[in-house]
Amino acid sequence: MNISVSVNGDVTVVGFEGNLDTNTAPEAEARLDELASGGGGKILIDFADLDYISSAGLRVLLATAKKLRGAGGNLRLCSLNEMVSEVFEISGFSTIFAVFPTEAEALEGF
Amino acid sequence: MIELGTITGGAEGAVRDARRKVHAALERLTADDMLASRIASVTSQIFRAIERGANPGRIIVRFDEAGAQPTFVLDLIGVGGEVDEATAASFFDQVVWVRVGDVPCLRLGLYIHIAPGLELTERRVAELRGVIEQKGRDALMQELTLKNRELQDSFDNLRRTTTAKERMESELNIGRDIQMSMLPLEFPAFPHRTDFTVFATLEPAREVGGDFYDFFLLDEDRFCFCVGDVSGKGVPAALFMAVTKTLIKSRATNDFSPASILTHVNDEISTNNDSAMFVTLWLGILDVTSGALEYTNAGHNPPYLLRHTGEVVRLDERHGPVLGAVDGLVYSEGSGQLERGDVVFVYTDGVTEAMDPDGQLYEEDRLVEVLRASDIDSVESLVRASTDDVWRFQADAEQADDVTVLAVEFSGRPGGSEGVHILELSVANRLEEIDSVNESFEAFAAEHGLPEKVRRSMKLVFDDLLNNVISYAYEDEEEHRIGVRVELSSDRVAVRISDDGHPFNPFGRNAPDTALALGAREIGGLGIHLVQNLMDEVSYTRRTDENVVLLVKYLSNSE
Repeated sequence: MNISVSVNGDVTVVGFEGNLDTNTAPEAEARLDELASGGGGKILIDFADLDYISSAGLRVLLATAKKLRGAGGNLRLCSLNEMVSEVFEISGFSTIFAVFPTEAEALEGF
Repeated sequence: MIELGTITGGAEGAVRDARRKVHAALERLTADDMLASRIASVTSQIFRAIERGANPGRIIVRFDEAGAQPTFVLDLIGVGGEVDEATAASFFDQVVWVRVGDVPCLRLGLYIHIAPGLELTERRVAELRGVIEQKGRDALMQELTLKNRELQDSFDNLRRTTTAKERMESELNIGRDIQMSMLPLEFPAFPHRTDFTVFATLEPAREVGGDFYDFFLLDEDRFCFCVGDVSGKGVPAALFMAVTKTLIKSRATNDFSPASILTHVNDEISTNNDSAMFVTLWLGILDVTSGALEYTNAGHNPPYLLRHTGEVVRLDERHGPVLGAVDGLVYSEGSGQLERGDVVFVYTDGVTEAMDPDGQLYEEDRLVEVLRASDIDSVESLVRASTDDVWRFQADAEQADDVTVLAVEFSGRPGGSEGVHILELSVANRLEEIDSVNESFEAFAAEHGLPEKVRRSMKLVFDDLLNNVISYAYEDEEEHRIGVRVELSSDRVAVRISDDGHPFNPFGRNAPDTALALGAREIGGLGIHLVQNLMDEVSYTRRTDENVVLLVKYLSNSE
């Protein structure tokens, strides 16, 4: 998987490309950990180029959200494909995460 | 109000049984598998809560056409457990508490649209009742206990009232009654099926032998059939046969491997087998879509495979000794591929050991001649041709042993296995191997144009299930192989994942509470929960020495 990081105002935008699963989760978690501890506390993860997510990927999101919340920060997610949306629905993640259809909508008022 | 039947709780597997039945009934009414899966899943969750209470629950299934809207009604009856009404209300159109006698009952109503062509004719109602009333293992065992008790009673009566000679005669008659009452005797047995036909006959000897046969569908695609011969005669043999036959059927309903079924049945009947009786048995499972045949021969005389080309093949492998002799044995199995028009012919030694008036034996060669000569226009005529020849040979000599013959013809379905694509992989138990499975699957999915969403869902399934197996199934540091088989047909993707780890049912855990707030969430079990919800059918079977997970995703429900 490829992880891209850019900054938009005080928001760190993270793009995941490829799979977020058992074998990519450690790398993703390490990267997000780094950003969560160093940045301004606002992270937006853009899933536009993510192919699929499994429970290992969900675990990373949950860990990141807990960490950010502990430090007074916040996490938003955007551009979920149909499969990822369904996984969010089934797992109940759609109700515990702030999910936006597009990056622009996610950045608004963040 | 049309009563469709009652699903009873209290037994092991009752919740799963309820889920399967509600799913099957709703699917037949609405042709909407998504709806059926959802409702079946929530019903089983609520039923599980009821089952946790002190008393076993039950579900009365009804169909109400009287109101403005046709309604599928489930009365969940039982005490105790905590029922989540809010969840029920988000799936059902009516959720009310009523009382049935002294017992609280949660009445759930679902408005449904009966799909065109699925109108509730008498036959369809009968079919639905069949689905609901289908017996689980527990119910079968209860029935058997009851039968045994009745038998014991009449036996006791007999003992008190009759002379020794009469008693002997009556005992033989009772034995024969039990024996014959346990057999499926109606033919055609599956009038609506064109993909296979079965015919069987059992002619009991005057002094009863312990022959039996049985056949039944395990699911839409798998047909299980067997022929057996119990040592001994009279009531003890008949009882032993009844127990064996019941154990086979109850085991086969959730174990699709002949070797595994017989391994378990042998263990059960060998333990406490004080009478030292045993049974020879041949059992086969035919996939009526593909023609694949798997079978185990436990000390039985070898059956014949009659090819549509006229070739006659003796299936002479043996996979273990007679059942009931030694416990702890592991049976093996053989396999074969049937083509359309091929017939499996199974029989007992009453055929080959029939005697003519001069005391000559019928012998197998003569049977093979009949099989070769038979112009098979139906399994019934084949079976009749073979038994008629035995009667001709026997002439006016007395029949010494039961004569049993069963034949199954594979006809296949239009289209058959054409258009079915298979991906078969074997990977080591290392997490990196998940990537190689997903890469192979990507290529397979691209080649056959699998819809995006299904492709992605399957990747999650592989990731989560393989991760589970690799991380938790093994207690040693050795390398193990994990089998992954994907079968793609026009309407479904079917996946089989097998491992030789310690026995573990991934679907045996309770679903996580997905409504909890972030801080309270535990992630364990989430992967399995996702798999269960993304797939349309999931099942787990412990085979003799492997865990097998089967998954089905229907393509019509997605995109």
